[in-house]
Amino acid sequence: MSGRRIGVYVCHCGGNISDYVDVDAVVAAAREDPDVVVARDAMFTCSDLTQSEIISDIGEHGLDGLVVASCSPKLHTFTFREMAKRAGLNPYEYTQVNIREQCSWTHTDDHEGATRKAISLVRAGIANTKGSAPLQPTQVTTTQRALVVGGGVTGMRAAIGLADTGLEVVLVESQDELGGWVGTFGPMFPHGTVGKDLVARLREDIGRRPSITVLTRGRVTSRAGTYGNYQVGVDADGAHHDFEVGQVVVATGFSAYEPGPGEHGYGAPGVLTLVQFQELLDRTEGRLAYQGRSVESLAYIYCVGSRGPEHAYCSRYCCSAAVHASLRVADVAPTARQYHLYRDMRTYGRNEEMFTESRRRGSLYMKFADDDPPVVETGTDSLTVRLHDLLSAGEELALPVDLVVLVTGMVPRQQDDLVGVLKLPVGQDGFFNEIHPKLRPVETVVDGVNICGACQGPKTSAESIASGLAAVTQVAAVLKRGTADLDPQVATVLAEQCTGCGDCTSACPFGAISLFGSGNGAKAVARVDAAGCKGCGACVPACPVDAIDLAGYTDHQVRGMIDALAMEVAR
Amino acid sequence: MTTLTPSLIGPELAALGDFDAQACMNCGICTAICPLSTDVLPRRLMRYAALGMAERVRQEEEAVFSCLLCRSCEENCPAGVHITENVRLLRRWLLEHPRRLN
Repeated sequence: MSGRRIGVYVCHCGGNISDYVDVDAVVAAAREDPDVVVARDAMFTCSDLTQSEIISDIGEHGLDGLVVASCSPKLHTFTFREMAKRAGLNPYEYTQVNIREQCSWTHTDDHEGATRKAISLVRAGIANTKGSAPLQPTQVTTTQRALVVGGGVTGMRAAIGLADTGLEVVLVESQDELGGWVGTFGPMFPHGTVGKDLVARLREDIGRRPSITVLTRGRVTSRAGTYGNYQVGVDADGAHHDFEVGQVVVATGFSAYEPGPGEHGYGAPGVLTLVQFQELLDRTEGRLAYQGRSVESLAYIYCVGSRGPEHAYCSRYCCSAAVHASLRVADVAPTARQYHLYRDMRTYGRNEEMFTESRRRGSLYMKFADDDPPVVETGTDSLTVRLHDLLSAGEELALPVDLVVLVTGMVPRQQDDLVGVLKLPVGQDGFFNEIHPKLRPVETVVDGVNICGACQGPKTSAESIASGLAAVTQVAAVLKRGTADLDPQVATVLAEQCTGCGDCTSACPFGAISLFGSGNGAKAVARVDAAGCKGCGACVPACPVDAIDLAGYTDHQVRGMIDALAMEVAR
Repeated sequence: MTTLTPSLIGPELAALGDFDAQACMNCGICTAICPLSTDVLPRRLMRYAALGMAERVRQEEEAVFSCLLCRSCEENCPAGVHITENVRLLRRWLLEHPRRLN
């Protein structure tokens, strides 16, 4: 007997567990342990009702330890830690045991075996709780300054938002001036707002906020430090700057897809990308003309560079942008024949109204099969586009046109240096990955580094700015409290045992361990920076004299769990 | 193969009245609902006319004149195309541009 007073709760999970595991037998096995004061089953342990029952058990029976045997710790560790806190129990005195993903779901063909395994796992969980200790989160003071990388509309708007929460902001832009893509755009869909005007307004707003430091022709060269307190190096305009920042926001945007030579006739006169065509429209006053000749007919080829083998994703903005461009053409050249050759039209949301309007105003839409793209024939003085139109029963059509517009999408920006410095998580498609696309859309797995805008994947400017403001909320939520709580499950060094060999310092992937000599010939000992330690445990086996323990996963706890697992289940 | 040239019937139809088949979104409800529902009536006929494929429209002369003008298609068109009016315009165009006999 350890003298602990432990409560064990075994979940049915509706039937996800109890259809394969004999929950009553698991509860009975848990009761055999002399330290287990309460053991119960529950249909849904995570339900509010069961949680309040557990809370009253904790008070009534004076429980000082808890085991919940239900689903993966990924799902409900946070739920039950919060429940423990509400009951006045230290959240680290609770152990989550996974008898669903790692037991009932994997052993649906062997009910007895699944039950035996569940009993073993629960016994191990009880052993872990017996060895647990109350842990307090490490509190650090956070730096009231944020770094924003990328000075397009997303980064500019995020910088303004951050400044308005009272934080200082360092805004780093790689080009000569702020503005990014939108700073080069004329009228944008859906309402024809001029991109250059938007950027001019944002520039003014930034100019009025002295708490924003703008660095152009800049790049981030280094990042060190711990959660809430990072040191970043920035080279800008030939000078080096060092900043203390609490959080980083990456808003580096996208690159435009550049078709290969000859791709749909690209390179021939009269074959333009969407961006080039928009520039032509921006320059157009009165008559629509290309190289001095009136444009009477044009063909838009959609999905160029998107939804193919190289870039599997949809670029999201191009359908709407091309339809908007065709409406601008209808304004300046009402009799021009406009053919839209598409795979699938995705003018989602309100942009559908532009699609309808463009058809009303004479744009003709033709659909080609994924494996049968249109062919652009470039003659000396003519352009002809051929396709099999699925909307005309697959009939082959030839379209002699004055201009071909390749509706090109977004591709990830090549920026290996920044990825290296910030350790940004790059997805299969080359864009940066967030932790959770719905619930944590701007945080990354790298602590303190947030992402927003089109560097995460294709977005419209409105969507990018909304995501930039989401990053503002996230950063402010962390920094405005002034302090941050860090996970207390970190490595600790037993100084009297440590020989100062330094094996742990090289084993630590986060550089969180260093050797300190006390002078006067006394031996050096390892010291863990609790703010820098991520609790990965890499140092524990590296220590030749067992002088390092990981709080929450101590050697004592792990040995106890192994002993419990090795106990035979009598049935 | 059909080449779509500037000498399309589109402008000619536009001159006759408010021809609006280009607003079609190709859903096919009109064809599903048509009591005659021939191979071409009404969606493909509207498609040929919208693209200005004069020869195709001439070939489908019988379909154009067999339409009952019942307006079932039009009542159910989600794109709001006035299909029967378009059929009337096509009839008039066919009368003014008859098929040449060899």
